[in-house]
Amino acid sequence: MMIKMENVDKYFGSLQVLNKINLEVEQGEVVCIIGPSGSGKSTLLRCLNHLEHITNGKVFIEDKLLDERVHNKQLAKKTNKEIIQICISLGMVFQRFNLFPHMTALENIIEAPMSVKNVPKEEAIKIGEELLVKVGLSSKRDEYPSRLSGGQQQRVAIARALAMQPDIMLFDEPTSALDPELVGEVLEVMKRLATDGMTMIVVTHEMGFAREVGDRVIFMDNGEILEEGTPEEIFSNPKHDRTRAFLQKVL
Amino acid sequence: MDLQKLLTYVPALIDGCKITVMLTVISVSVGMILGLFLALGRISKNIFIDGLCKVYIFVFRGSPLMMQIFFIYYALPLIYPAMNISDKFTAACIALSLNSAAYLAEIIRAAIQSIDKGQFEAAKALGMNYSLTMRRVVIPQSYRRLIPPVGNEFIAVIKDTALVSAIGLTDLMRITNQIQVRNGDPWIYVPSLVIYLLLTTIFTFVFDKLEKKYSIYE
Repeated sequence: MMIKMENVDKYFGSLQVLNKINLEVEQGEVVCIIGPSGSGKSTLLRCLNHLEHITNGKVFIEDKLLDERVHNKQLAKKTNKEIIQICISLGMVFQRFNLFPHMTALENIIEAPMSVKNVPKEEAIKIGEELLVKVGLSSKRDEYPSRLSGGQQQRVAIARALAMQPDIMLFDEPTSALDPELVGEVLEVMKRLATDGMTMIVVTHEMGFAREVGDRVIFMDNGEILEEGTPEEIFSNPKHDRTRAFLQKVL
Repeated sequence: MDLQKLLTYVPALIDGCKITVMLTVISVSVGMILGLFLALGRISKNIFIDGLCKVYIFVFRGSPLMMQIFFIYYALPLIYPAMNISDKFTAACIALSLNSAAYLAEIIRAAIQSIDKGQFEAAKALGMNYSLTMRRVVIPQSYRRLIPPVGNEFIAVIKDTALVSAIGLTDLMRITNQIQVRNGDPWIYVPSLVIYLLLTTIFTFVFDKLEKKYSIYE
């Protein structure tokens, strides 16, 4: 199992944002999480790579225990180093790209392989250039992020995450900050990634993408997983009233 | 005003000016390094380290610089004979460095904390630990934001160095005073003032250039 969450709760102060989440993701699966704003989709994703800490429950990454807590008390004591070791198999793409503005596209991509994995510079550059080809941006190799469009920045961000050779890619609303005409190029790259067999969890408002690329669609509301199934089941035959109401609004 | 006579003072003023510039450059440089550590201490989650740095900044920012200079040069050797700093220049450097470190620490802390939280998250998601994140991602980005306030600090320190004349160090201020007392020429302040203004102009110019240079990625 690539990812497993067991009875995960998450509170921000007294506000509960995740409620008894149970989730399993298998190798090569593309899971799309949909739902209204504030339903806990992003938080769920961020709990997987320890950007947020769960309050209760267990999180496993590739069968390794990442975190286990009861009332915010950590049962499995892990050092920062161990956590980094486990989370390194997860790549993450953010809504707001978060590229490093003082580095060119290529430098953004080769930074972590070089500084974290000690990959020699020439090799890192070679990998970086291949990844730029993969996302269709080899001509932007030496441009700073400020000179790139949103769609180009997001594709560099995807390449940057891939440079660490993750087994699982997490996408946190990767197209929500983009102008409508730039959404397609990013989705195209993600689609190719899915075809190549990458395990992906995608929080998205792009229903077309979820339907076409997702193996499984999860509908979340109020911090709960209300319904999950194949895209066909969720989009054509939603069982839950709230799923139906949500889909009616967005489709 | 006797221009001919004033010009004869210029070599002596230039000598004093050298001391002023050296004091400024050394103090701000040492102050930057010390200030960086103080800033990292201030944003650290360890309340003991944070507290210690807070107290340091509180003391050095909250008391007169002249008192700090006097304390290091006159009082410290009496309290701890081992701390006898007989060289006036060294004593002045230490006092000015410790003092500017307190101001620079707050400047650096503000610059670091102005970096978008997303940068820390992106670095963490790529497997970078705290020290790598700081060294490779956050601190390089804060350079550009640091340049204008550090330029300001430089100009402030140039003027602050005039206080070291009080312990008898022959900086530009003291030489000006000596000439005035010896020759009774009230116009000596004019060339001295011009030199101070020239110094601030040069530093302003250098920092403007630096700011442009580091703006390439914006």
